[in-house]
Amino acid sequence: MPVEHVMGMHVRVEGAIDAGRVFGWLRWVDATFSTYRADSEISRLGRGELDDPHPLVREVLARCEALRRETDGYFDARAGGRLDPSGYVKGWAVERAAAFGRGRFLIDAGGDVVLRGAWRVGIRHPHERGRLAAAITLADCAVATSGAYERGPHVVDPHTGRPASGLASVTVVGRDLGTADAYATAAFAAGDPRWVARLAAMAIAGDRVFTTPAWPRSGTRRARRSTRRPSARALAGRS
Amino acid sequence: MRRAVLALLVTVVAVVLLARYETTPPVTRSPDDPRRPPAIASPEPTPDGSVSALGPALVTPFSAIQVKATLKDGRLVGVETVALSGDGPHTDALNARAEPILREAALRSGSADVDVVSGATSTSEIWIESLRGAIREARRAG
Repeated sequence: MPVEHVMGMHVRVEGAIDAGRVFGWLRWVDATFSTYRADSEISRLGRGELDDPHPLVREVLARCEALRRETDGYFDARAGGRLDPSGYVKGWAVERAAAFGRGRFLIDAGGDVVLRGAWRVGIRHPHERGRLAAAITLADCAVATSGAYERGPHVVDPHTGRPASGLASVTVVGRDLGTADAYATAAFAAGDPRWVARLAAMAIAGDRVFTTPAWPRSGTRRARRSTRRPSARALAGRS
Repeated sequence: MRRAVLALLVTVVAVVLLARYETTPPVTRSPDDPRRPPAIASPEPTPDGSVSALGPALVTPFSAIQVKATLKDGRLVGVETVALSGDGPHTDALNARAEPILREAALRSGSADVDVVSGATSTSEIWIESLRGAIREARRAG
């Protein structure tokens, strides 16, 4: 099955999907949104050199702003002090890439996944030896995991500027990968499993695993309205 | 079992391609480096009729992995990681977590039976690739 390294991660596709168009689209997204390329639209916007961004750039930035409000600031495309929507762009781009498939397929973008049809999905356990935290059959949904295990903490709490702590990993299942990824990132930054209580989510803290009522436990689940916004202020305990 | 093996093969074809897309050159090791994985050995038939074989030693920029698979009557009955090394404490800690996760899944089901792992790393994918090679070698010998 085709795999390509694009946008700083390995992207793998399986099943009935046009891999060439997927990777071509992702390369365009990378050239447009990368903060590592001085000539990308995002870099030029960040320097104030671009007045008329591409409609898709405007769409992404508008969605990032909405997510910032929905998550009470825990997801923030400017958390690092400059414009960097990468945390949303990857999931958004992969979700849109699903348009290049028909029937049963999956796209695995560095452990964040879009599924069409039913697939067996393992959730990596962040620190317990010899275990997947879960293995579930899911269909027609997105699965995003934010955790500290690969390169150390890579999520910064926008409210403190310090690396997030409190949770080892958060997995969110939803209809849209960009949204699921943003909520997983926000929950990880918030460091509180209660934050994902209204989502289909699994959060791991220390030796405890928290799964929400909407978390699929057995059989095949299709995502319902599981990426709807939580009442973030109440859940995050910041009222 | 045949379907499971087929699924595994399908999964790991991806990893072959994945390895080709590594953008960082592999770590070069001196021949006497104790962490260097052993070369692929010949499959070993045993008195009980099972056949074991090693998969290819796969070196990523961060780790080296080699997996041994044991088949009996065409069924996967054992998986063992015989070489797993990294370039520092962080990599070793990472590998210590990544390796047994996939190992347990493979032993429990007779094959690696998840299609995808959320939060997965290239380390675990490389492990599957070595397992695939080991199964192929054991089948060839069995």
